[in-house]
Amino acid sequence: MQRFLDPAVLASISNLDLVAKTVVDGFVAGLHRSPDFGFSQEFAEYRAYSPGDDLRHVDWNVFARTERCYLKRYQGETNTLVTILLDASNSMKFTSHGVTKMDYARFIAASLFYLANKSQRDAAGLIVFDDELRNYIRPSARQGQLHRLLSGLENAEPRARTNYGKPLDYFQNLLRRRGLVVVISDFYESPDVIVKTIEPLRFHGNEVILFHVLDPREIRPLLGAPSILIDLETDESLEVTPDYAHNDYVQKMDAHIAALRDRARASGMDYYLLVTDKPLDGALREYLTIRQGKF
Amino acid sequence: MGFLTPWFLAGAALAGLPVYIHLLRKHSTNPQPFSSLMFFERRTQSSIKHRRLRYLLLLSLRLAVLLLLILAFANPFIDRSSASMRSDRLLLLIVDNSFSMRAGSRLADARREALAVLDARRPADHAQIMALGSQLHVLTEPSIDPGTLRAAVDSIAPSDARGSFGELATAMRSLSESVHTPIELHLFSDMQRSAMAASFQEMVLPPSVSLVLHPVAKDPAPNWTVEGVNAPGEVWDPKKTRVQAVISGYHTPAATRTVSLVVNGKTMATRNVEIPAGGRASVEFDSLDVPYGFSRCEVRIDSADSLPADDVSLFAVERSDPRKVLFVHEGTDTRSPLYFRSALASAAESAFTLESVNVDQTANLQPSKYAFVVLSDVLSLPSTFENTLNTYVKGGGSVLIALGTAGSRRPSVPIFGNNVLESHYYSREGERFLNVGETDPSHPSVEKAERWAGVKFYFAVRVDPGDSRVVARLSDQTPILLDKSIGEGRVLLLTSGLDNLTNDFPLDPVFVPFIDQTARYLSGTESRISSRMVDSFLQLRSAKEQAVSVEVVDPAGKRPLSLKEASSAQTYQLTQAGFYELRLANGRQDLVGVNPDRRESNLDVIPADVLSLWRGKAPADTAQAATTTNGQTPQQKNPFPLWWYVMLLLLAAAVTESIFASHYLAIQREDP
Repeated sequence: MQRFLDPAVLASISNLDLVAKTVVDGFVAGLHRSPDFGFSQEFAEYRAYSPGDDLRHVDWNVFARTERCYLKRYQGETNTLVTILLDASNSMKFTSHGVTKMDYARFIAASLFYLANKSQRDAAGLIVFDDELRNYIRPSARQGQLHRLLSGLENAEPRARTNYGKPLDYFQNLLRRRGLVVVISDFYESPDVIVKTIEPLRFHGNEVILFHVLDPREIRPLLGAPSILIDLETDESLEVTPDYAHNDYVQKMDAHIAALRDRARASGMDYYLLVTDKPLDGALREYLTIRQGKF
Repeated sequence: MGFLTPWFLAGAALAGLPVYIHLLRKHSTNPQPFSSLMFFERRTQSSIKHRRLRYLLLLSLRLAVLLLLILAFANPFIDRSSASMRSDRLLLLIVDNSFSMRAGSRLADARREALAVLDARRPADHAQIMALGSQLHVLTEPSIDPGTLRAAVDSIAPSDARGSFGELATAMRSLSESVHTPIELHLFSDMQRSAMAASFQEMVLPPSVSLVLHPVAKDPAPNWTVEGVNAPGEVWDPKKTRVQAVISGYHTPAATRTVSLVVNGKTMATRNVEIPAGGRASVEFDSLDVPYGFSRCEVRIDSADSLPADDVSLFAVERSDPRKVLFVHEGTDTRSPLYFRSALASAAESAFTLESVNVDQTANLQPSKYAFVVLSDVLSLPSTFENTLNTYVKGGGSVLIALGTAGSRRPSVPIFGNNVLESHYYSREGERFLNVGETDPSHPSVEKAERWAGVKFYFAVRVDPGDSRVVARLSDQTPILLDKSIGEGRVLLLTSGLDNLTNDFPLDPVFVPFIDQTARYLSGTESRISSRMVDSFLQLRSAKEQAVSVEVVDPAGKRPLSLKEASSAQTYQLTQAGFYELRLANGRQDLVGVNPDRRESNLDVIPADVLSLWRGKAPADTAQAATTTNGQTPQQKNPFPLWWYVMLLLLAAAVTESIFASHYLAIQREDP
């Protein structure tokens, strides 16, 4: 099953629904635990009926014996709200081995949606952004929500540049209700700017996870000769040398990753680096850990 | 300095290829998209300078490899005088020891002159001794040890081989490829004209070999010889056997010579023969009275010339009783035994005697007493005789069956076993007759007769060939001659008669050779050859007779084959004149008389102008040999090839380029 978490394998599956199902089932099977992990149907308590409660939850057997109305409560009732913020800027188009960062981000988002919606009965929503808010699907646990989310993911093609400020200002207003916010991006911005922009979400009581998606060649570039590189977002070109790419650039990138991780954790946010040639289970495990511990 | 193949220099234009790759394509870089240049900085100047330096060194190395390769193909050389090369020359002394060197004191003179050349050489000069017969025999390796070299010259003995200057030139061409120093070749020979190659081109020596000739014979000496002897290898009736000999004289006056026929050391007959000046005469002996078994025979003349070794010609004969052949025919058929007996008597030199019987007389006959059995158009056989014949064939006997009009009435061919399909009377069917369409020339029965083109067949029986071998077919594809192996024996089937009624075969010239070969084939005897020539090869075994030991005893009484060679050698080269005793792989004993090539008896010498042409000099410098023996060779320009050194440089440049290029490529690997 582990091979179904390999991005190269998933890239050959065109149906995002199938990708998500494959990943999640594979991941869950790999845990050697119940597929209903986290979603409890176990009885928790009885609560006396008060006017306004949903009559569907009344335990009619108890009413028949005692002629009193009690509501039956389950552990799984503590549902949460999962919102994924997906960066769809041009830089997410980059790939060095067949799976673009955007594809990888889609796989993660789809898998999380599947896990949340099917297994956890969480309400899930999606925000696609670049320098503008491109698409917003309101969090919901209703029937058909998963298809809406996956459709939103499939339509999220990379374009334009990244600008965290403008869209985040907008969806701070959308995310009034506390929940889990997952930001999937390559975070080509100063760590201070990123954290300052996303931090307000945390203030509203949300749990925030930053999934930092990078291609392996972005971390360790492979440059054989002096080359001209073109920025995917700005179309700016630059002649760089292998010597610089193999030394100075690597140091700068490592420093950027370390700074972003430290700044995020200092602000109470979780940070997770995802490299696109690695299996997806790391991201899912991070989600479930937080989901289990915090809600 | 020059180039042997200057056209290859045009390949220097290829040098533009690395220049184009290195300089013109240097700046073509494909832009690569990258997600963000946020962490990159522009860095170009220093790296380009470093790269250009590296490129230029790599470029110069590649250009050097290419130009050196072209130079090597152009084959450069420099002219070096012979004097400058004398210190590293090879002095090669070749003494002719062919059969003609037995004349007078030729070989002793040649050895003496060779020793004189050895004494005159400088002590530092390497010398090598070889002997020239039909092949070149290496007697020493290149050496400066005078003792070894003198001993090798003294050990040269006369041989019976025929000299060949073509072989000498071929050996020199291969030697010059392995020896890179100049070779000074001294040839001590009688310069016999017959030793020249058919084409003068085959005698041309390579440029690195300078030839110095030491002729030991100036004029052709008169010589008589027994040029050839025509004698049968097998004798059945001594009184009917004749021996013919041809006596030749080369540069001789007209003379009368006494010719003797000697058998086992005893003179059996003598004849006087008149030989014209420089001509030849033949002599014939009417009988060859030899005892049973092998006899050593020779024809000898009293020549009193300078080459007595060629006054005798050896041959070996074997005497045995003629073998009987059983011929079975119908009582009414008197023609076929007549024709068959006549053919057998004239063909096989009385090797067989025919015993013809009627079918009715066969009841008590034992076929095993006969060399083979002939069934000529037999309608029916007594069952006892047929059974005896079947046993005889399965045990290794042979039968020839001819099917005439009587035999065609049987449903199947006796002994042969195959069914008779139909019979054709071509004379009644409009064609009148048919000829033979195709024959299998690999079959011994038709080997010499080739196609029976003129034979007319008026009648033939169509027999199902089955698993038999069809040797000949008529033009309508009817098998006319079939061969079949049954058990250890074989049966040959002629589907027409031997009586001159169903065909005109008995009257055709091919009938006699057919009967001759068929008789030898069915009886298992092959015709012996009474004498062979020196350097010819003798077949010791056939392909089927592997791992059977053979035995060869040479004229000196020694066994030249080792145990391994005796069990595996296919052929043996006869290198000496005399009688060889053999025990072949098929168990047969044999005696072979071996004579030298008679071309060696013609002691005519090569003209001086041809020898000058061979040396590559003007005819006038006949005194060159004498001056050379004093160690003072005149100045001579010789091309000295340089391609070997160019190739070494090329190898060095290629290795350097590989190391440097791999170092350059190593930068392109990702840092760990």
